[in-house]
Order: sequence, then structure tokens, then C-alpha cells
Amino acid sequence: MNDRTENLLLALPGLLLLALAFLLPIGQMLALSISGPDGPTLDHFVRFLSDPYYLGVLWRTVRLSFLITLICGAIGFPLAYIMTKVGPRLRLWLVVMVILPLMTSVVVRTFGWMVLLSRSGLIPQMLRDFDLVGRNFALMQTEIAIVVGMVQVLLPFMTLSILGVLTRIDGRLEEAARTMGCSFLQTVRTVVLPLALPGIVAGSLLCFTLSASSFVTPNLLGGSRIQVLAASIYRSVTSAPDWPFAAAQAVILFVGILLVLLPYIKLTGGKNG
Amino acid sequence: MAEVRLQTIRKSFNKTAVLHGISLDIRSGEFISLLGASGCGKTTLLRIVAGLEGVTEGRVEIDGRDVTSLAPEKRDIAMMFQSYALLPHLSVAENVRFPLRMRGIGNRDEQAEKVRAALETVQLGHLAERKPRQLSGGQQQRVALARAIVSNPKVLLLDEPLSNLDARLREDMQVELIEIHRRLALTTIFVTHDQEEALSLSDRIVLLNAGRIEQQGTPDEIYNQPATSFASNFIGSANLVPAEIVDGPQGPVARLGDGQELALATGETARGTATLAIRQEDLSLTTSGAGPAAKIRTRVFLGARNRYVMTLAGETLRALTPNDVVLADGAEVRLTVEPARIRVIRG
Repeated sequence: MNDRTENLLLALPGLLLLALAFLLPIGQMLALSISGPDGPTLDHFVRFLSDPYYLGVLWRTVRLSFLITLICGAIGFPLAYIMTKVGPRLRLWLVVMVILPLMTSVVVRTFGWMVLLSRSGLIPQMLRDFDLVGRNFALMQTEIAIVVGMVQVLLPFMTLSILGVLTRIDGRLEEAARTMGCSFLQTVRTVVLPLALPGIVAGSLLCFTLSASSFVTPNLLGGSRIQVLAASIYRSVTSAPDWPFAAAQAVILFVGILLVLLPYIKLTGGKNG
Repeated sequence: MAEVRLQTIRKSFNKTAVLHGISLDIRSGEFISLLGASGCGKTTLLRIVAGLEGVTEGRVEIDGRDVTSLAPEKRDIAMMFQSYALLPHLSVAENVRFPLRMRGIGNRDEQAEKVRAALETVQLGHLAERKPRQLSGGQQQRVALARAIVSNPKVLLLDEPLSNLDARLREDMQVELIEIHRRLALTTIFVTHDQEEALSLSDRIVLLNAGRIEQQGTPDEIYNQPATSFASNFIGSANLVPAEIVDGPQGPVARLGDGQELALATGETARGTATLAIRQEDLSLTTSGAGPAAKIRTRVFLGARNRYVMTLAGETLRALTPNDVVLADGAEVRLTVEPARIRVIRG
């Protein structure tokens, strides 16, 4: 047996699992999305894309996912950078702190946010007490609530992706930049940021795909008024069982994420990783 | 071109003192070497001049201006790192242009011209568009050098820049450094643990030992008149032999631990307990004749020469001989040394 067949053999169980658990359901979903009473049809897609309500849901999903990814990056990069600069003990504590939320279920965390953000919850109450907002101010069932909840869920993915790349950057490069006339911020911009790009891209991809397909947090924090695509799919399946329409929405979500991934992958492919 | 003045620099890391009050004046255009074993504080001192490390106490002046608490980017220095520290995401030309861009020196065309000239200086003009990882170690080294000199800094700091190169490239780079220094006359501080490098490159050598200046002087002074036993052992790795200096019938002699005697120069004035510093190449070995007897332990073949490790009066001695002197392990040999070549260090 040569190396090639040996490698193939070793990869076989994984490939098999992938085919059974991933490719097969996706195929099924694709088939379902174009199934109609009288043979294959694109009606479900037409219905989705011609209805302003559903287009609004799609737009909100994409918009919120971008916003969440952006905020995760804006918090995650400095956090990861600081983690590479502090001593090993403090770094361990910071890593634990970042990972800790992952150890409780998303549902529990989201209920936590519901308590904090609800009308009589801590945060709106405090803002009202300081007269920073009006009496009718609410946070629950707004897009802000979804963003806050999702950022907390996804921040570890962004931070750890960036941290992995940052720890491999030679610290002397930053020192060299300083001796060549860069201030601290210029060093971060011209040296650290470009070299951390692969980590930032990986983290952004994770954040974007996870938030575009997330269901629990947006559903609980956004309520029924503010729907995202995953919640809309859920409703299509549960309230008026319409499997083909749900499948069509899932395909649109799938293709949408794929379209976002492509330029990203190109972006990293050209740079040195 | 600028002079650098260090005044009683002290530096501690977590209460461990690394530098114990170093004062040093470096003349404008001087090539000075900080020489010492690893851990002696030479790199820390260099990083203090660069501003990458603060001082616990003391004062750093560049060109008459107090820069002790000035950030590195405001010091108008250039530093070359042992690991080269080329920016991997930029091309060779962009790397060399980096300090010009960051310091806002010249417009785009002038920068391009300076980059071209600097790369010509290190003979790498043809590789300007490559990425650093596509270059060999020696080429990366020369890019780092071009990047260090391109902005015509007041002070050029070199942190063991040659230690990652193989022997042949190192010799080439030494010549290149000497010629560049002669042409640009940059004030240069060179950190090295390699005494040969320090001897061949410097106008002045500062020998550091455990955070203090052990001795400083021209390469000639440091090599021929080591002031302390550390200096003579470190430079030229001389043999150090404890001895008692007494008056013999024909002038002063050194009495070794086992009673054997070595003749000293007639002008030698020291008496009593002392340490003899004898260079490896100054010892000649004969199987017959006068002189103290020593026992050969090991021969190390070095190509052009042989190194013999032997025992004399309980001390380990090393001698460098021409490679046609062949002696068996365990053989008894007689040692002769030109009396004037023995340095007596008191105490």
C-alpha cells in the first residue's frame, strides 16, 4: 500500500461522516426547495424575493450580521493584542474570562440579557434614572438587544482567532518599527494589523456565519416583531408547516453566506498567511 | 552623525540589577563595540540607547540632547536586529522605504531614489521586488543593513547582526560594514560576543562584564594590554595561571603551584601572588629542552593548526600550534614562552 491510498483510507471515515451528515441533508434541502405539487418549481424563491417583508428579513439578517462582526472585531482585536502583551499569568486569566461564557448555554445567557435589558431591567432603569433617555425607552425587542446578545456570544470566536495569529508575530518586528519612526498606533496599523489579517478574516467569517444563521438569541431578544432569517425559517416550519418554503429560505441563507465567504477567502489567498 | 553620551546608566529588571552605572562617551562617527558574554548587559545597554528599554537611573544624550525618556521613534536612530526583523508582508524595497515613509523624509521620488541607492550599496538592487522570505539569510541581513542606513540616522545600532550567518558570509559582511562605516561615517554602536568581530571592526572596544565596564580601548590596547584577568581570558581566550612572582638568579620568575618556574621579562616589577595570562598561540611545545613540564590531555585538529589541551601544575592550559606539531595524548611536553609575551596580572 502506498502513501496515497493509506492517506485516503485514513480520511475515509471523516469523508463518510461528512457525506452522510452534511452533503446528504444539503442535497435534500435543495431538492425540497424546488419541489412543488406538479414537479420542480421556483415558486418558493419567487415568493420570497418578491415579498418586501421577507426581503426586509433578509436585509436585516445581513445588516445585523455585519454589524455584529464589526463590533466583535473592534473589541476582539485590542483585547487579543493586550493578551499577547501581558504576562503569562494574566493572559491565562484573560483567556479563561473570554472562554467562560462558552461554558454556559446560549439560552441561559440570553435569558440573562433579557433580565438586564427588559423594561424594568438594570440597564434601561439606570439610563432612565440618569435622565439619559426618555420614559418610553426600551431595549428588549430591538435590534440593539440582538446585537448586544450576539456580540457576547461571538466575541470569544473572534478574540481567539486573532489571538492565535498575534502570538505568532515576532515582537521584534514592532520594536523595529518603533526604531524606524512609527509611533505606537502607527506600529499597530502598519505592522500588527496587516500581519494579523488572516486571524481577523477567520474570526470575521466565524462571526458572520454564526450570527447569520443564529436563531435562539435573535428570537428571544428581538421578539416576533424583529425577525431574522433563521427565525423566519423556524416559523415557516412550525406555524404553517410549509417545508418547501422553509427549504427555499434556507437555501437563500446558505447561498448568501457563501457569497460573503468568497471574497473573504480571496482576500486571504493573495496575502501571506 | 552625532555623539552619544551615557551617564551612570543603571538598569534593573524586577529588582535584579543588570547594569551597574555605566558611563560612556561615544564620539561622532566612531565605531564602538560593546563586547561581552551573553547576559553581561550589552544588549540591554543598546536597547536603552534605542529607547526600547527605559533606564532605572542615569541619563542618555544623543547629540547633546537629553533623550532619556524620549520614545524610540523620536530619537532618529536606526537599529539592526539579530533576527533582521524584516516586515514579512512588505517587499524588499518597501521594507527599505519604511523608515523614510514613517519619518516623512522626502517625497515619493526622492524616497525611491534613496531606496535604490541603499539597495545598490548592499548589492541587492535586483531583488527589490521580492518578499523577505524569498531571500537567503545573508540577503535578508543586507536588506536589514540597507534599511538601517537609508534614513541616514544619527546613530546606527547593531545588535549581533552577524551571528546568524555562516563563517564565509560573516567575513564578507564584516568587510561591507567597515566600508559602509568609512563611507557614511555614521556613529555606530555594535553589540557582539565575538571578540574577533569586535577586534576587526571597531575604533574602540568596550568590554562588559556582569553589567560593568571591564576595560575599554582601541582593539590594539584591548588585545595587547588586557587590564584584568577577565579581559585577558575573554580576549584571545588566554590561559590564566596562578603563580608566585619571585626573584630568580637571572631576574624575576613565576613559580607555579607545583614549584616549576617560568622566566618573566626582566623589567617585570610585580612580586608576590599574581595571575599569568598566556595566549594560546604564544605557548610552544617541545618534547625535549627546558621549561616547565606539562601533560597532553587532548588534541583538537583545527585544520591550519592544532589545539592541545594539557595539564600544568593542576591547571588546564590550551596551546595553539602549527599543524605539523604532532604529539600523542598523555605525552609529557616542555613549555616555552617568550618572557615578554607573559602578562602578569596582580592579585
